[in-house]
Amino acid sequence: MTALLQSFESLERRPLRTFLTALGTALGIATIVALLAVAGGAQASATKFLSLGGSDLGLFQRDAADPTTSVLPLALVSELRRTRGVQAATPLVLLVGEIHRSPGAIAFGAYPDSFVTDRYVFLQGHMLTGDRQVAVGSGLAAQLHLHVGDTLSIAHRELSVSGIYHMGVPEQDDGAVIAFGLAQALAGKQGEATTIAVSLAPTVSRSQGVETIRRRFPGLLILGDGVSAPRAGVSGVLLSRLALVLAVIALVIGGVGVMNTMLMAVTERRTEFALLAAVGWSGPQIALRVMAEGVLTSLIGAALGLLLGVIGAQLLVGLLGAGEYVAPNVTAWDLGRALLVGVLLGVLGGMYPAWRAARLSPAKVLAER
Amino acid sequence: MPGSRVEVERLTHAFDGNVVLRDVSFSIEPGELVALTGPSGSGKTTLLQLLGGLDRPTAGRIMVDGIPVHALRHATRYRREVVGFVFQLHHLLPALTAQENVQLPMVAAHVPRRERDLRAHELLDEVDLSGRARSLPSSLSGGERQRVAIARALAGQPRLILADEPTGSLDAAATERIWQLLAAVRERHGSTILVASHDASLLRHVDRSLAIRGGAVCEQPASNLAPPPPPATGPDHHDRAPAEL
Repeated sequence: MTALLQSFESLERRPLRTFLTALGTALGIATIVALLAVAGGAQASATKFLSLGGSDLGLFQRDAADPTTSVLPLALVSELRRTRGVQAATPLVLLVGEIHRSPGAIAFGAYPDSFVTDRYVFLQGHMLTGDRQVAVGSGLAAQLHLHVGDTLSIAHRELSVSGIYHMGVPEQDDGAVIAFGLAQALAGKQGEATTIAVSLAPTVSRSQGVETIRRRFPGLLILGDGVSAPRAGVSGVLLSRLALVLAVIALVIGGVGVMNTMLMAVTERRTEFALLAAVGWSGPQIALRVMAEGVLTSLIGAALGLLLGVIGAQLLVGLLGAGEYVAPNVTAWDLGRALLVGVLLGVLGGMYPAWRAARLSPAKVLAER
Repeated sequence: MPGSRVEVERLTHAFDGNVVLRDVSFSIEPGELVALTGPSGSGKTTLLQLLGGLDRPTAGRIMVDGIPVHALRHATRYRREVVGFVFQLHHLLPALTAQENVQLPMVAAHVPRRERDLRAHELLDEVDLSGRARSLPSSLSGGERQRVAIARALAGQPRLILADEPTGSLDAAATERIWQLLAAVRERHGSTILVASHDASLLRHVDRSLAIRGGAVCEQPASNLAPPPPPATGPDHHDRAPAEL
């Protein structure tokens, strides 16, 4: 306790050095927070995406890295409809980047009378009735100033706006629905679908439904929750993996930074540690003091890093132009993890300097003039 | 607490093949105040470090109150419980107050905070610095810093005090005050004190003197040396070349 108090006082009395050391940690933590927030946002977006039309499950081709590359045979739909516990199943084709005036918007190819479109509330007009029509989400309509009767170009096809709907899910309200057959033609997926949305019977739980379908169709990736959702979404997969890689890199860089700063501090203060050894401090006592300073500094850095990270996440998404796909999502768990990382950085980054400080030869150091 | 008996037998120490101390033997009785003289680089600091357990000798024996210091693999406890160091460059920690610096050996010994505060206050009072307890070293004069360092050396209630050029950067008045303080410490605590110094004025306060020449230590009776004139009194200063032996 005394060592901790003295470490705190020592930091307090060297404000500039403490700040600069903490800043190194803060940059590492800020990077981690920003990446976690972006990955969390991507995950949240993918979860909403899957709630299309209130379906319980989304079925994809296993190992498909991107919803648009998932390919499922249409024959599977009838097989699913015959599966116990499945109330309804309908195929979907997803087109990403094909609405040229809003590249981030998704065009959903769906049957207009399927259960996924039943819950759309139309603010203007009605659901599409043919291949030359498109139903537009309220967000996209507002963004592009579209009204019923206007024209929207999707994959170079000029389609007439039949209605403007609201669903309450940003990805769908910011997208549009076109005829399933047209979407197949545009995607080059004749006889195939990107995904199949499944609605389970009210008496069947989600886990029971997943288990039943998994046993019967082992080649499918069944997504029913937000944790597994990013595995199928291109942004989710790439961002979560990228975030993990970058977070590890940030961790390593942060750790090396803390260690480097701590080593410099130990080198600068070698006389101090030699003196402590000379007046009877043991190696572990000296190491504990160095470690305590490292952890305290890292905690200060972590607190600063949390703030920078939250701001940085917004900036990162803005700079990458990914605001339409991903809303940074900073959770208490992200902040807690970042704080934990801060402590770990202090411990890991301080270990080698602490060992060095504890092994200094007081005879050599104190004899220096 | 009585001072330590120091027995050095056939001590030899070398750095990178250079023999600094060669076959040195001497002893110091409990409670003696002994001067260690010799030119710069003669091995005074090395001898004090070996006696204090900061380094291990190449050969020979050092016994302090029966403790084989030469053979101690980890001398932490010995340094904490037996020895008190005073260095030429005081080595006070700049971020700590005078009182906190004095407490450092007690922190290592896990002395409770209240007791540490009390003892540090008493020790600073003993070196006439109780009014500067909360001062940082940067606001103290050279003489005051060295007196804090002496108080710190006493904090562990050592039986053996090793002082290495403690007045090396002080003026005559401050130097005399340090010698008087060390003599008073010996009287009050009964500690054995070995002081390495160039300053001739030290000889007026010691029981005897050991001289290092060419790596060897020889007895040099204090009475054989002409005592220097008494120093002028005044405030502590830093800028005086000491009178050398």
